[in-house]
Amino acid sequence: MTDVIVRTPLVEVTDLRTWFPIRKGLFSRVVGHVKAVDGVSFTVDAGEVLGVVGESGCGKTTTGRSILRLIEPTSGSVKFDGQELVGLPRRDLQPLRRQMQIVFQDPYSSLNPRMSIGTALTEALTVHGLARGRQATHDRVEELLTLVGLSPSHAARYPHEFSGGQRQRIGVARALAVSPRLIVADEPVSALDVSIQAQIVNLLRDLQRRLHLTYIFVAHDLSVVEHISDRVAVMYLGRIVELAPSRALYRSPMHPYTVALLSAIPIPDPDRRRSRIVLGGDVPSPSNPPAGCRFHPRCYMAQAICRTDDPPLREVAPGHLSACHFAEQAMAMAPGKDGEATGWEETGRLGGTEP
Amino acid sequence: MSDPLLRLDDLKTYFHTDEAVVRAVDGVSYEVHAGETLAVVGESGSGKSVTALSILRLIPQPPGRIEGGRILFKGRDLVTASEAEMRRIRGAEISMIFQEPMTSLNPVFTCGEQIVEAVVLHERVDRRAARRRAIEMLELVGIPSAAQRADAYPHQLSGGMRQRVMIAMALACRPSVLIADEPTTALDVTIQAQILELLKRLQQEIGMAVILITHDLGVVAETADRVAVMYAGQVVEYCDVRSAFARPLHPYTAGLQASLPRLGETRESLRVIPGNVPNPAHFPDGCRFHPRCPVMIAPACLEPQTLRIIDDDHAARCIRADAIAAGTLDPAPPEQERVP
Repeated sequence: MTDVIVRTPLVEVTDLRTWFPIRKGLFSRVVGHVKAVDGVSFTVDAGEVLGVVGESGCGKTTTGRSILRLIEPTSGSVKFDGQELVGLPRRDLQPLRRQMQIVFQDPYSSLNPRMSIGTALTEALTVHGLARGRQATHDRVEELLTLVGLSPSHAARYPHEFSGGQRQRIGVARALAVSPRLIVADEPVSALDVSIQAQIVNLLRDLQRRLHLTYIFVAHDLSVVEHISDRVAVMYLGRIVELAPSRALYRSPMHPYTVALLSAIPIPDPDRRRSRIVLGGDVPSPSNPPAGCRFHPRCYMAQAICRTDDPPLREVAPGHLSACHFAEQAMAMAPGKDGEATGWEETGRLGGTEP
Repeated sequence: MSDPLLRLDDLKTYFHTDEAVVRAVDGVSYEVHAGETLAVVGESGSGKSVTALSILRLIPQPPGRIEGGRILFKGRDLVTASEAEMRRIRGAEISMIFQEPMTSLNPVFTCGEQIVEAVVLHERVDRRAARRRAIEMLELVGIPSAAQRADAYPHQLSGGMRQRVMIAMALACRPSVLIADEPTTALDVTIQAQILELLKRLQQEIGMAVILITHDLGVVAETADRVAVMYAGQVVEYCDVRSAFARPLHPYTAGLQASLPRLGETRESLRVIPGNVPNPAHFPDGCRFHPRCPVMIAPACLEPQTLRIIDDDHAARCIRADAIAAGTLDPAPPEQERVP
């Protein structure tokens, strides 16, 4: 949102780490850690939409949940409106929970099948002490349903009576019930049919504008993320490798992984054949990430330094961060490039260890 | 043009449940030629997967039943073929790969054993020759150190590798038709790019026909020669891939494209097809898209529509398709006006 003059970070994440222990043997000895999130820092301004993209296993979901402390972070700091959340006792966390809500990917598994929608929404209000009398609560439930494009009469129905898109609307209504300031949306449209995705994306965007919400929008679909986000963070193996305003990220990506990721997305236009950077191999295991730059085994421009030195996330253009020793050349060195992200002429095939 | 390898002619597959007759596939016709890729596009409940399972006669019966129509494969009608005949065809002449490789691979056998099984079942070869073929296939699909990976169990491989094993198994007997049901939906985009490229290369090498079932219009644009768009158990548009994107003649196809967010395009809000994807047990009467259609007219659209050729080789199931083809009617949903 560019019309906000004074930007204050609502969320400030510093060096966040969430490691899961790998246990083995009779005494459940810890033999290693899955470093799902391994040193992530970023801020989200009030009223801003930050997109977080990456492939499965990159830590994007764990990051979102660690911020809400639905998963306990291992170390680092998460400040919400200036207040530290990591290490905060549960009792003190509860009132803050009201201000931070989550929307899940699969709305069906996040709704109790034996609870009518009205009851589910009322429960959210009661838990947070927001139910003020039967009539007021009833009115609030109707208001919420209307807000997300459902009919007030739907309150009496049960989750199985709704389609996928309608269930996601209910998921959004449940999150909005307590009037939060921050919503972590975890793949909110990826389980929906194509014709329904646009409905939910528009709804989320509308609500964000209307209620001045702040979103952390986690998804693997770059085109959806680019559409809704002000800024986008690209994650790879537990780290942010690039963070930039969404237009800039798409127009001039400054990390080879982002360049490859963008080129891999099939474009729905048969006349726009473009070359594709096919990354070799799979994402390495987050329990044993490669030394140096974590992307170097699959990178098309890896040099000797990339195998030894871990590149820090640095500002390579105003507001544009990249964790690459050669960020400035990421576009220029892409195989088959001609300087514009959409205009590659030939197919580039990249090495790595596997075809 | 030569005769098609596989031709569906007014195929009807219904499911008989206690409450209703679900007309999951209701008069579907399409065809594929050797070396060609037909993309079958549709959302959940459109009948695209049930059509594919009907081709292989893998519909659980009861409750399912092929109620009518023909499936002509090399001139034979598979609807009336015997079970023994179908067993010879499945996996050998017509193969299928599924969305989630983990659920289609047997967890207690190694990948190599599963491919050997498929080969021995269909061809007169001993197990050693079959194993050699299995390793050859694993190499062909780009699995590094194939001889060792042949002894790996499915859980030891990554998602992308498992999908390669599935493809190796499906292609081991050099089928003439491959049905790929959302083969990359469960995979990440960079892995999807690898698999699509692999399928394209193998298709050229083996010369097989591919029926690619997907909901991803990007994948369609990059891989298909022809497109069949399905909605509510019927094909609503059938044409070559260029026309499908450049000049869609059915409002559903046009709406799907208009509702996609595109990289590098800034739009305030996305165009939207209103309403919900219909439940197969209660398809709307008349044109099945009419409740969601921006150019619906009464009473004409309340009558059932037929798939008819509008121009050249371009067919659509819409009474207004002629006006859309003439350019006098915009089939895409309007830009949304937001109520504050």
